[in-house]
Amino acid sequence: MYRWDFAPVLRDWDLLLRGLAGTLQLAVTSLVVSALLGLVLGAMRSSRRHWLDWPATALIELFRNTPVLVQLMWFYFALPILLGGKLTAFAAATLALTCNTSAFMAEIFRGGIQSIDRGQWDAGRAIGMSYAILMRRIILPQAIRRMLPAFTNRAIELTKSTSLASTIAFADLLYEGKLMTSISYRPLETYTVVAAIYFLLLGAGTIGVRLLERRMARAA
Amino acid sequence: MTYHWDFSAVWFNFPELLEGLLGTLKVTAASLALGLPLGLAVALLRLQRWRLPAAIAIGFIAVFRTTPPLVQLFWIFYALPIVADIKLDPFGAAVIALSLQSAAFFAEVFRGGIVSVERGLWEAGRAIGMRYPALLRRIILPIAIKRMMPAFLERLIELMKTTSLVSAIAYADLLYSAMVLSARTFRPLEIFTTVALMYFVVLFGISLATRAVEARLARSG
Repeated sequence: MYRWDFAPVLRDWDLLLRGLAGTLQLAVTSLVVSALLGLVLGAMRSSRRHWLDWPATALIELFRNTPVLVQLMWFYFALPILLGGKLTAFAAATLALTCNTSAFMAEIFRGGIQSIDRGQWDAGRAIGMSYAILMRRIILPQAIRRMLPAFTNRAIELTKSTSLASTIAFADLLYEGKLMTSISYRPLETYTVVAAIYFLLLGAGTIGVRLLERRMARAA
Repeated sequence: MTYHWDFSAVWFNFPELLEGLLGTLKVTAASLALGLPLGLAVALLRLQRWRLPAAIAIGFIAVFRTTPPLVQLFWIFYALPIVADIKLDPFGAAVIALSLQSAAFFAEVFRGGIVSVERGLWEAGRAIGMRYPALLRRIILPIAIKRMMPAFLERLIELMKTTSLVSAIAYADLLYSAMVLSARTFRPLEIFTTVALMYFVVLFGISLATRAVEARLARSG
């Protein structure tokens, strides 16, 4: 019978805390950039001009139909050769996760923008609003409200994906856990605690999404 | 500085990459074969009126949906053998982790499909004296599965993408063979680009099939 012993994990808790900070840093950076990039891609994708639509479609399909880990490896091992320099693990992970998440965000933005009634576009144009102003003042405020649950879901998926950065030695929660097992030889306790921390963090997010959905169902 | 692309490392070692692709397909197929029936079982438990089975199913789904797949894989590969006192090779650990994880997602797909079937059909089946298993097999599931097809194929794409994580526990899948090859030939750019394209061809194929199925379902209603 195995004797559980959480003492080694608890003794080095600051290691895990540092890892959690790394995870959050990576998740927040990628989320912010990919929300902006996703908006641009989504708008391009909705455009009737082919020179805007086609490159965006190609990028979205490419990043949605390859594994995130492969993208991560490509950005870490292959891209620096093209650039002729070096990328830190954080930079490569941020790039990969941002490109991947943007592709999904673009489809969310497109869906949100398309869900707005055509009449609103016509009304905005009729009073002489330009595309940019129409988008900012009328379309986006409504679209973003409708997109919020899908958007939050993506944020949760993104946070789960940050754990992949541990494979290129970025010091996230999982990486610190790995490090800890090599010091303490307690993989069972360590990985259980690591899994529990992710579960609490992401579980809170999931409950948040559900509350949001319920509120919006009432409001609609 | 312009980089000189040289695909000879890919060209001469292509059989190795194909073998990796075969490994990817093997893990995907095995996890699908176990994950589907398990997902159906979890969905049925989830739909029970008794509190305990439903609570177990909800807990199972929550744990596997809200922790990162890589953490699950590590837990099963490094920690499970200690608790269960067993030995696991990378393939075994990969299949256990991926089938449990996909079962949690498949369960929600099954549940959505089953719930979408009109109540009247359940009542009609019961009225002519059908038992729960017969009713499920002959009436409810055939309808539910047809409606679930797009969500199901989407999940298959996610599953196949997730199999790339098994490279982290040294199972020889497509990504792992790329890592080995690039360490040996010092041609990461050409190799990882080729491998990304190989994944893309397979996954985009399934993605197109999903869209065709969706369009057909939309037409037939």
